Amino acid sequence: MGKEMKKIFILAALLVSLASFAQNPAPGGAQTKTIALMGGTVHIGNGQVIPNGVVLFSNGIITNVVDGTTVRLDLTNVETISVAGKHVYPGIISPASTVGLQEVGAVRATVDKQETGILNPNVRALIAYNTDSEIIPTIRNNGVLFSQAMPQGGTVSGSSSVMMSDGWNWEDAVLKKDDGIWLNWPNYLAREFSLEDFSTVVRKNERRTQAIEALRTTFTEAKAYAALTNPMPMNLKLESMKGLFTGKQNLYVRADYGKDIIEAVTFAKSLAIPNVVIVGGEEANRVVGFLKENNVPVILSALHRLPNREDEDVDLPYRMPGILHKAGILVALSYADEWWRTRNLPFLAGTAAGFGITDKEEALKLVTSNTAKILGIDKLVGTLEKGKHATLFVSAGDALDMRTNVVEHAFVQGRKVNLDDRHKRLYKQYKDKYEQK
Amino acid sequence: MQKHLLTGLFALSITYTARAQTTFPQNGVHDERPGLYAFTNATIIVDPQTTLNNATLLIRDGKVEAVGTAVSVPAGAVVTDLTGKRIYPALIDIDSDYGMPEVARATGGGFGGGGRPPQYESNKKGPYYWNQAIQPENDASLIFKANTLKADELRKLGFGAVLTHPHDGIARGTGALVTLADDRENMLMLKSNATAHYSFSKGSSTQQYPNSMMGVVALLRQALYDADWYKRAGNKEQSNLSLDAFSRIQPLPAIFEASDKMGILRADKIGDEFGVQYVIRTSGDEYQRVDEVKATKAALIVPLNFPQPYDVEDPWDADNVSLAELKHWEMAPLNTGRLANANVTFAITTAGLRNKADFWANLRKAIEGGLSEQKALEALTSVPARLIRADDQLGTLQKGRLANFIITSGNLFSADNVIYENWMRGKQHIVTNKNVADLRGTWNLTIGQQSNLKLNITGKSPEKPEYQILIDTVKVTPKVAVSGDVISMQVQLNRRNPATTRLTGYRMGTTIKGDGESPDGKVITWSAVRTGDAPQSTSATSTTGGSSTATVATSGTATQPTSNTAATVIYPFVGMGNAQLPKSENVLIRNATVWTNEKDGILTNADVLVVGGKISKVGKSLTAGSDVKVIDGTGKHLTNGIIDEHSHIALLSINEGGQSSSAEVRMSDVINPEDINIYRQLAGGVTTSQLLHGSANSIGGQSAIVKLKWGESPDGMLIKGADGFIKFALGENVKQANYPNPNVLTRFPQSRMGVEQVYMDHFTRAKEYLRMWQNYNTLNVKAKGLAQAPRRDIELDALGEILEGKRFITCHSYVQSEINMLIKVADSLGFKVNTFTHILEGYKLADKMAKHGAGGSSFADWWAYKMEVHDAIPYNAALMHRQGVTVSINSDDAEMARRLNQEAAKTVEYGGVSEEDAWKMVTLNPAKLLHLDNRLGSIKVGKDADLVLWNAHPLAIYARPEITMIEGTTYFSLKDEDAKRDAMHAEKARIVQKMISAKASGSPTVRPTFRRARMWHCEDIEGVIAEGEEK
Repeated sequence: MGKEMKKIFILAALLVSLASFAQNPAPGGAQTKTIALMGGTVHIGNGQVIPNGVVLFSNGIITNVVDGTTVRLDLTNVETISVAGKHVYPGIISPASTVGLQEVGAVRATVDKQETGILNPNVRALIAYNTDSEIIPTIRNNGVLFSQAMPQGGTVSGSSSVMMSDGWNWEDAVLKKDDGIWLNWPNYLAREFSLEDFSTVVRKNERRTQAIEALRTTFTEAKAYAALTNPMPMNLKLESMKGLFTGKQNLYVRADYGKDIIEAVTFAKSLAIPNVVIVGGEEANRVVGFLKENNVPVILSALHRLPNREDEDVDLPYRMPGILHKAGILVALSYADEWWRTRNLPFLAGTAAGFGITDKEEALKLVTSNTAKILGIDKLVGTLEKGKHATLFVSAGDALDMRTNVVEHAFVQGRKVNLDDRHKRLYKQYKDKYEQK
Repeated sequence: MQKHLLTGLFALSITYTARAQTTFPQNGVHDERPGLYAFTNATIIVDPQTTLNNATLLIRDGKVEAVGTAVSVPAGAVVTDLTGKRIYPALIDIDSDYGMPEVARATGGGFGGGGRPPQYESNKKGPYYWNQAIQPENDASLIFKANTLKADELRKLGFGAVLTHPHDGIARGTGALVTLADDRENMLMLKSNATAHYSFSKGSSTQQYPNSMMGVVALLRQALYDADWYKRAGNKEQSNLSLDAFSRIQPLPAIFEASDKMGILRADKIGDEFGVQYVIRTSGDEYQRVDEVKATKAALIVPLNFPQPYDVEDPWDADNVSLAELKHWEMAPLNTGRLANANVTFAITTAGLRNKADFWANLRKAIEGGLSEQKALEALTSVPARLIRADDQLGTLQKGRLANFIITSGNLFSADNVIYENWMRGKQHIVTNKNVADLRGTWNLTIGQQSNLKLNITGKSPEKPEYQILIDTVKVTPKVAVSGDVISMQVQLNRRNPATTRLTGYRMGTTIKGDGESPDGKVITWSAVRTGDAPQSTSATSTTGGSSTATVATSGTATQPTSNTAATVIYPFVGMGNAQLPKSENVLIRNATVWTNEKDGILTNADVLVVGGKISKVGKSLTAGSDVKVIDGTGKHLTNGIIDEHSHIALLSINEGGQSSSAEVRMSDVINPEDINIYRQLAGGVTTSQLLHGSANSIGGQSAIVKLKWGESPDGMLIKGADGFIKFALGENVKQANYPNPNVLTRFPQSRMGVEQVYMDHFTRAKEYLRMWQNYNTLNVKAKGLAQAPRRDIELDALGEILEGKRFITCHSYVQSEINMLIKVADSLGFKVNTFTHILEGYKLADKMAKHGAGGSSFADWWAYKMEVHDAIPYNAALMHRQGVTVSINSDDAEMARRLNQEAAKTVEYGGVSEEDAWKMVTLNPAKLLHLDNRLGSIKVGKDADLVLWNAHPLAIYARPEITMIEGTTYFSLKDEDAKRDAMHAEKARIVQKMISAKASGSPTVRPTFRRARMWHCEDIEGVIAEGEEK
């Protein structure tokens, strides 16, 4: 009961400042004063943890992270926030996400996640990202402070960008622009839907070789095009793919079946594309050795899914990150296109910790530093280390467990995030209704 | 004696007279023949139990006149000497569509997906039943058209008669028994209106209803009740040719096409309700549930449609083939043998074969698999005849039966048997010439100047000779054609010169003579003289030159019963099934943290004793007898099994969306105990689920409340004595808001305004219906005798039960306005809404819900997927809970149900519900909502021992069940998981090896495909309606 009261109090405090009802809260103002989070358990995000730590940040950048029991800091002109008994985490990163790109699934007018056509490398998720989406405040309330806005559809879907979960518009919110191109690998197995009994039959896809050869042509021509200094005529599609060959952009390939993964990676290597990432990877356990040898990271689809086959191990999806992590493969977790469920991303790391990765700090890496490394933003974010962005949150308890993931403070580049959201507002409104009686 | 003779003559003359009568004019001269034939010196299988050696069969006018070893052949009989040959009764197939028009299959849902507007009324012209799939008025004899090509396919196999019917619809009308001869339909028809036919497939009907399996069952049940009413009273009010036909066909043997093992149970249950024992056409998987199938006491019609081996060489691709598919491939040929061993009566059909020509090869596989030849013969002759009450005409060769028989070279079941002739109603039909000269032997061959040649003729039977010429030591294979006694041969006599010598000749006894042309055009003569029997070759078996003492043992069968001891049935018949059903044990769990859900709260270091499937004691330091299994619970948490108030697993279909009310459908008709999600959810701690109808219409169907007893039959899973529930639905799904192509939608309602009226209308009718029955039931005996009982309406029965407080509503709901509406409708009509499910805006009117007494069964944090969930908040459960609503957290999703403990934990995060109360939301509260809290939902002495032992705090993300038990029976045990998986992989590997050998020996294979059953949510509008299809 005490806990309950406390939470209500916190909420009430947050809600006092709300003047209007229906809008998302305004983004926080730039950090003007150095802030020190005092006495919390600090989860660095790289496997380390400091039980009584101090996190100091200034102008949006972490300036120091120290053990409070051994180090004394000069705290004059510093806003100190006591977080004793609480936990400090780096902002959780949600890769391969459609947050900001769709609002209400069944309402077509609110969905901007995929473009028509087969080859759309030039299509950019960045500009469709809606900072006013009501989904965004709900995800940062569970500690998810970054999401990679990802286009879907066609074979080459377009390019993604990594977004911060607080900002006035996409220009403000973007952390890394056009970080990679998305490719849906032609499936080794194709699904056929049976109108007879509404079951799905999966069989070998007979048309895939053709599809792959067409892809190879496109990529080969894109590579040649990239060498031209003044291409005439200018080709927007090939232009947008240039970064793939220099390593400036990742090639994200959606592939699940073991054979698809091998082919996709071999394809990328044969074109000398430096950075290839497997997304989905539901059968990555089949190709652990291959992934390791080729140093290919994996962004897994949501662990909270069913096994793919009747006879597959009941808990294989839950064990998958552990299998890959133990083999030394860089692995990150995603909620794929389930935009509104993204707030449960920390709990996927918790699941991984329950099924194979016994060290919770290692499990935390799956949604923080590993993801940052894969997306190429690890110099900026992903851990609570000096020099990185002060994008972090404080949770009342273990953030990987839903019982205790109660976010009390969040900062994006040092800006205080207003933790109000649509759900809290409705909660308050109707709580008030019953209290009026 | 004289008298006897006289009667005989008299009888004959009558027949002759009858025979001479024909209604057909003859173009030319009439050619009626005596039709008197005697077959002598044959081995005659009179019936499967009686074999006569050296016997005579005498037939006259299409009937058996005499059969025996001492039959005297009357003058004028055409005598055929069948020395060494056999006569069998011709085979009968009683599931045939021979001579029937092709059935167009209806495709597409008609919900605007294919652009076709939904069709709510029957398209059939005339005063028939309201639903096109009910057509008992159809009569196969009226549409029968003989088809020589199709007939020949079956005649070649030895079939002489078939029971044919149009395989179209749920009530399909009557079948006709016909022979397969080439004749006028008038002569082929042995019996019209011989049988009545039913199925679970709506066939060519394009009508919207039914679009689910449970809708099919309900429609048939209602039609049968309507037929009863029509006979009693309805015919005075209206004319309905379909209902009229039901009465007419009621006395006939009834055949139900069920098409899988669960369908057999389902069909039989319908039969029980109406006092009919159906003969059930199956799909060949009955061996997987022999006990339950046997208990129906139904006779079966069984196909021999064995699956082809899969292409399993690539181990990764082979993963796509499930254990169930592998096992069925191995075990399908064992099916008939196992049925015979269990003393189940069955006939065998050629239906379902990809290719009719596979029939004999498959039957021999069945015999290898343990079916005796006698049983096989019964299943093809006497049993089918008896099942359709035609055993006075067909099935044996006793005197007076129709002369439908086949002449064979030897044992019918032997691989090298040849069927020579197939006689139907006394008319000969030649399959293979039985008088083919047996040329096999060694012959001295002279061609022109070359006289030192040898011709060896070998082969399995005289009908399939193989030729070889020896030129010194060089072997040459000539091309030979034999037609009667004329022989032509082409041969290359000189290897180095590929030129052909062409010869024509004739045979006289053991000599062949003739002439021909050498490659250079010169005329040459040639001859061959038989010198002896053929050298022992790989082939030749019994049938030639046999003696009249041939035995009827299984001589000459190439088929030996093979050991299939490794092939065992598992329950259920999918991966992780058990060879034996697990048993209930007496168990003591010691020293665990026990979440009682009672006023004792959470006990630490406590013990729980389970005896006889019930919780026997809860306390500390309990002692146990020696018969009690002790489990150490140190450091672990013991809780009740999770109860999922809203589930769609283990079902064959979800929505009967063909009408706005489908109160008549029962989810218990479509329970699928073989859904792997049952096991997956046991691994997540779920023990009880309410299997709900979907939300496609305002009034859905009746729920099935089951325990997840992995391996049990559908009935074994149902909780006996549980209250009846029914699904209602409001909002976007009901008004089809998110369907494609909205322009074609015409089903009422299309707005929330209409939804209210659906309820008002249906409940008003239900009230009147109840009153009608009340009036009738309160009549005195005499008045009752004079009155007619009202028409039974199974839809209004269900709605009446709601009004009478005997059936309870779970209503799919999102938006507060419509929730309020249903509360008002219920209040005005005097019933209660038991549970609002989903109820994502429940927090807005929790006070009203509490006042009405409705519970709320919700998602923890779902939102944003459609417009009506835009105001859904994760604090919903907490707000409803605090207003006194009984709140449960449900899944509506096969995946989420595996971790409902985590979903419950979210109410701690959102709204700060206490951990104990959060836990009750997935255990005790759903038990209350299902009216089962007197036996489920808490750890209390006397309640069911449905328990889960967790490795950690059950609300923690890190927790997983180590043991899940239901009524003391352990259905999931983490420590046994690895061994069980290993055993499954070993079993798969064993069968894969077998499959690879089968492929090497030439069996055609199919690519690995894997069929995934749909994962159902209540949004899903389609149902499984094509069960009648061959797999």
